[in-house]
Amino acid sequence: MQSKKKEYKTIFPEGSTDISDNDVAVVSPKKKRNSLKIQETVFIVVLMIIPLLHVAIFFFYKNMSAILLAFQDARTGDWTLDNFPKFWEQLTTPVGNNIGMAFQNTMIYFGNKIFLVMPLSLIMSFFLYKKVLGYKVFRNVYYLPAIISSLVMVTAYTQFINPKGPLDQMLTLFGQSLPPEGLLGREETATTTIAIFVIWTSFTTDILLFSGAMSRVPFEIIEAAKLDGCGPAREILSIIFPLIWPTYSTQFIFALTGILSATGPILLFTNGKYGTTTISFWMFNEVYGDGTIGGTGSYSMISCAGLCFSAVVVPLTLFIRWLVEKIDVAEY
Amino acid sequence: MNIKKIKKISKEDDAPSILTKRTKLEKVVYAIAFIIMFIYAISLLYPLFYLTINSFQDALVYTDNLIKGENPFAFPSTWHPENYITAIQGMYMTDSWGEKVYLPEMFFNSLWYCGMALVAGVFSCSCTAYILSKYRFKGRNFIYGLFIVVMTLPITGTGGADFKLFSDLGLYNNPLYVLITNLGGYGFNFLVMYGVFTNVSWSYTEAVFIDGGGHFTAFFKVMLPQVISPIIMLGVLGFIGQWNNYTTPLLYLPDFPTVSAGLYRIQKSFLRDGDKPAYYAGLMLATIPLIVLYMCFSEKITKNMAIGGLKG
Repeated sequence: MQSKKKEYKTIFPEGSTDISDNDVAVVSPKKKRNSLKIQETVFIVVLMIIPLLHVAIFFFYKNMSAILLAFQDARTGDWTLDNFPKFWEQLTTPVGNNIGMAFQNTMIYFGNKIFLVMPLSLIMSFFLYKKVLGYKVFRNVYYLPAIISSLVMVTAYTQFINPKGPLDQMLTLFGQSLPPEGLLGREETATTTIAIFVIWTSFTTDILLFSGAMSRVPFEIIEAAKLDGCGPAREILSIIFPLIWPTYSTQFIFALTGILSATGPILLFTNGKYGTTTISFWMFNEVYGDGTIGGTGSYSMISCAGLCFSAVVVPLTLFIRWLVEKIDVAEY
Repeated sequence: MNIKKIKKISKEDDAPSILTKRTKLEKVVYAIAFIIMFIYAISLLYPLFYLTINSFQDALVYTDNLIKGENPFAFPSTWHPENYITAIQGMYMTDSWGEKVYLPEMFFNSLWYCGMALVAGVFSCSCTAYILSKYRFKGRNFIYGLFIVVMTLPITGTGGADFKLFSDLGLYNNPLYVLITNLGGYGFNFLVMYGVFTNVSWSYTEAVFIDGGGHFTAFFKVMLPQVISPIIMLGVLGFIGQWNNYTTPLLYLPDFPTVSAGLYRIQKSFLRDGDKPAYYAGLMLATIPLIVLYMCFSEKITKNMAIGGLKG
């Protein structure tokens, strides 16, 4: 009895004379599966090799290098633990524009992001979602700070708070005036002034993302809530917020990831003077210096500070992220 | 028999009656919200208005107004469009070789810098997102977890190691820096594209296989065109972000200043000489292309912006 051979059509390279157009090639199922598997493997390897190499070099190797730098003397390159007492001294010294001041300011910017910007973005997104008058215009205008360069925003803001600027003229109406050195020229007001600027310009991506998430909430759910007499406060707390929780939690986790790099445009405002430095700016300045190639060269202290901060913040972040993911996601 | 007229509902307002119907208290709340949001919107337009008005101002008149505390929003009595010519031909910074770099060259640098960054970044993220969302292979879960960990671990203090690494690799002050650093395939773009590809049906790829195509054909000729809209959105956002980025070019490409980095370095010398209106003209020249770009793609950006969570 002739065994049945399964017939398959297969692709031959162009120009091949092994088979005519009308013939059907006979290929065994096992060979075809192997061929497809090889194609798939080649495809995956080709597309993934560069990203994986990138992670290996620019994440693992770079972080290992940073950890090793923390144990090296900046000038001689010898192994040492001296960086850690120096770091501790800079962190705990109450005066001076040092790491302690930088950490304090960083926490201010981070706190503003988590406790002010994100909740306010949620509320503003809700009103945009509910089509408050002019919502289309507002949606585009609120994204302007992400489009316009920080140089533009900082320049305009600086002129606004200038001792002879519009803010001073407004305060004059109430019998007040700005200090002659300006709000950015005093340690008592400089960080607060920059923090207000950061809040003013931060409602960009969050509003866009939250509005997008809200627009995907099924209309039937809102209709049912309205029919049950649900007001706006209940609607946002009990319906909208749980339904957009995946988007909100993702933004929260991204903000948490950037806890140590929370900052404002310090370089543009004060260049780190008047107690405005942040961890991010301090590290940038240690590398950039005054623009000379190589900056200050004190990479060891940056690496040491980074290692110490990361050792505390990474487990904390992972714990908070675990807590966030414990919250059930409302499916719809 | 009364025939009720059926109200035509526009595409935008699928259910206008529920979303816009408000009680008296809600109307008060929405009115207050509108006022606050309106004031905030005006405040965001203030920088553009202020810089536009004063970019046409005479330099001496501007300085005089500033010293005397005159109205900063006053329209110029005489308009000076030549400030824009001064910005293009007269503003420069000096690179490490002592060469003068003018605004047109900075624009050119910005174009290739942004182009390379977004092409490399968006393409590599599309590749990794497609593989991890559509294929199941050994190590897939590990790689996905690795990408999430890389994105979400708050590690800091690698600035010095970064600088050393790029110097050792010969990428310092080298345009290839932009290409190499954006080929990671992870980050915000990866999350967006992962979500997008997850929602694209695998049957398109199966159809390609049935027709005799391979995986490369399926990806480049079928799947990528399916997701062109979010790719354009990420491209536009990436372009805007890179255009405004001044710290990275300052640190790693000092001899290839982009518009933002160059304007930062210019402001110290130019403002010292007192010609702020010309500087403002330079800022406006740097800003206008981005505003036009955003306005062309704002609908696409709004519709395609979505991230769903980091679980998994």
